[in-house]
Amino acid sequence: MNTTAKKSGNPNNQFEALDGFILAVLLLLAAMIILPFISVIATSFATQKEYLEAKLLLFPRAPTIDNYYRLFQDPRIWVGYKTTIIFLLVGLPVNMFLTTSLAYGLSRPQFPGRKFFFFAILTTMMFNGGIVPMYLLMMQIKLTNTIWAVILASAVNSFYMIIMRTYLSNLPESLMESAKLDGASEWRILFQIVLPLSMPIIATIILFYGVDRWNEWFNPMIFIRKNDIVALQLVLRNIVIESRLTETMSISGPYEPSFQDGMKMCAVIVTMLPVMCLFPFLQKYFVKGVLIGAIKA
Amino acid sequence: MTVSENEVGIKGRFAKLGRNIFKNKECYFLIAPGVIWYAIFAYIPLFGLTLAFKTYKAKLGIFGSPWVGLENYVYVFRDQAFMQSIFRSLQLNAGRLLFAFPFPVFLALIINEVRLGSSKKILQSVFTFPHFLSWIIVASIMTNVLGMTGLLNSLIGMFGAEPVSFLGSTSFFQPMIYLTENWKSAGWSAIIYMAAIAGIDTEQYEAAVIDGATRLHRIWYITLPGIKGTATVLFILAVGNIMTAGFDQVFNLSNPATIKVAETLDMYIYRVTFQSAADFSFSTAVSLFKSVVNFILLFSADRIAKILGGSGLIS
Repeated sequence: MNTTAKKSGNPNNQFEALDGFILAVLLLLAAMIILPFISVIATSFATQKEYLEAKLLLFPRAPTIDNYYRLFQDPRIWVGYKTTIIFLLVGLPVNMFLTTSLAYGLSRPQFPGRKFFFFAILTTMMFNGGIVPMYLLMMQIKLTNTIWAVILASAVNSFYMIIMRTYLSNLPESLMESAKLDGASEWRILFQIVLPLSMPIIATIILFYGVDRWNEWFNPMIFIRKNDIVALQLVLRNIVIESRLTETMSISGPYEPSFQDGMKMCAVIVTMLPVMCLFPFLQKYFVKGVLIGAIKA
Repeated sequence: MTVSENEVGIKGRFAKLGRNIFKNKECYFLIAPGVIWYAIFAYIPLFGLTLAFKTYKAKLGIFGSPWVGLENYVYVFRDQAFMQSIFRSLQLNAGRLLFAFPFPVFLALIINEVRLGSSKKILQSVFTFPHFLSWIIVASIMTNVLGMTGLLNSLIGMFGAEPVSFLGSTSFFQPMIYLTENWKSAGWSAIIYMAAIAGIDTEQYEAAVIDGATRLHRIWYITLPGIKGTATVLFILAVGNIMTAGFDQVFNLSNPATIKVAETLDMYIYRVTFQSAADFSFSTAVSLFKSVVNFILLFSADRIAKILGGSGLIS
C-alpha cells in the first residue's frame, strides 16, 4: 500500500494543495472518531459539578475516581464480567475446535461428498431459520437459561471457517502426502504439521471469535433470563440505555445520590477496555483475516 | 450395452465409491463434529421455518404442530405495523446504500493518496478501531456525544445556538443512523478497498505519469475502475441485506421517543416474538417472508450487475 502512495505521489507543486486538503480531511475525520472517546473518558473522571458547569469537557481539572468506585459497588458489573469471561473460556475452545477440524477436513483433496458438505454450509450462509426456530430448538433441548445455549448457537461462524479453509488449502500438499506415507493419521497431521504452519491464520480467527464472544449480547439476551448470568454488554445496556427512563424520574426528585452520567461512562470504559488495550497490538492480524476473506469473495 | 453389463458398471462404481470413502474415513471423522453442529443448529432451525405454515403448540414442538396453510400470512398482511415496518426498512437501508455505502470508497481513496509514511498506520488504527466495539458500546458513547449536555451540543452551544435533542427527535433519527454507521464501520470497510487498490498494476500508474495524467486523472481513470469489481460485490451483498441490515444499531440507538420511526422489520419481528404475547408461528411467517424478499433482492442485484457488464456474485 505504501508503494501505491509513492507511485501516485508527484513532487509537483500543483499537487501540494491537494495534499494539504486530503490531510486536513483525514485529520478532521480522525478527530471526529477520537473526540467522542476523549469525551467519554473525561466524563468518567469528572465530578457532576464540573460536568454541568464546563462548557466543553475534554479534560477534567479535578479528576476523580469516585465514579469508578461507585460502579464497582454495583454487583451487576461483576456478574457481567464473570459471564463474559465464561463465554470466552468455554466458547472460544469450542469455536476453535469445530472450526479448525471442519476447515481442515474440507481442505483435504477430493474425498466423496466434500463438495456436498461445503455447499450445504454455504447454503446456511444465505438461508437461515432466524431467531424464532433457534429459540424454540433451544427451549426443546432444555438449554435456555444455561450458557450452553449461547455457546452452541454461535459455535461455528461459516465465514471464518471458509477463511481458514482457504488458507489451509494453500499449504503445500507434499508435506501432508509424505507424512501420510510415514503412516501418520489425519488428526496427527492436523496437530503436528498443519497447525504449527497455520499459526498466523489461527491467531486471526481466535481474535475474530474472541471479539465476537466479548461483544456477544443478542443471543444471551434471548436465551438467558437469569439475574446471575448476564453478559457484560447487556449489563452496560442496562446501565446506560435502559436506565434513561428511570433517570428522568430521579432527576426530578429532590436527592441525587451519585453522578449518573459519570458512572455510565465508567461502565462504557470498563466494557471496552480489553478491546481498546489489545487492539493496537493485534490490528495487523485482523487486517490479514479480512484480506484473505476478501480475496475469496 | 446389455442390462447385465450396466448393472456390473453400477456395482463397480459403488464398490469404487465404497473403497474411496473407506480410504478417506479419517476425513469424515475430522468434519463429523462440525457437520453434526450444522445439522442441529443450522438445518433444524432452517426446516423449523415450516412453522410459518403451522400453528405452534408448545407441547407438540415445531415439527409436531398442525399445518394451517397460509393462515398466518392472512394475519401478517392485515397488520398495519408490519406493512409500515417493511416500508421503514426499505427506506432506512436505501438511505444506507446512498449515505453509508460510498463513504468507505472515499476514505480508502484519500488514505491511499496521503503521503505520511508510518503515521498512516496510526491513522488507520484510529479509523478501524470502532468496528470492534459492539453497537451497545457505540450507542452508549453516542448518548454521551449526542445527548442534550453532550459533546456536540457543547460545541453548538459555543456558537450560541440552542441544544438539539439528536437522540430523541424523530427527524434526526435517520441521519443519525447513517452518521453512526459511518463512524463505526467506514474505516474497516475501507480496508477491503485499499487491498483492491494495492492489487492494481503499478505499470498503469507509471504509464499514466509519462502520458502526463494528473493525480485526479489517475484516481478517476485507474484507481476507481480498479476497485469497481470489489465495490460491485459489496453492493450486491448490501442490496441482499436491505431488509435486515442494522438491527443491532437500530435496537440500541432507538428509544421510546423515536420508536415510531425506528420500527424496522427486524425490530417488528423482535417485538412480536419476545415482547408482546408471543405468537411464534406469526413471527416465523414474517421471518420467512423477510428471507425470501432478501434472496430475491440479492439475486436480482446480481443479475442486474451482470447485465450492466460487471462481474456478479453467483456464478
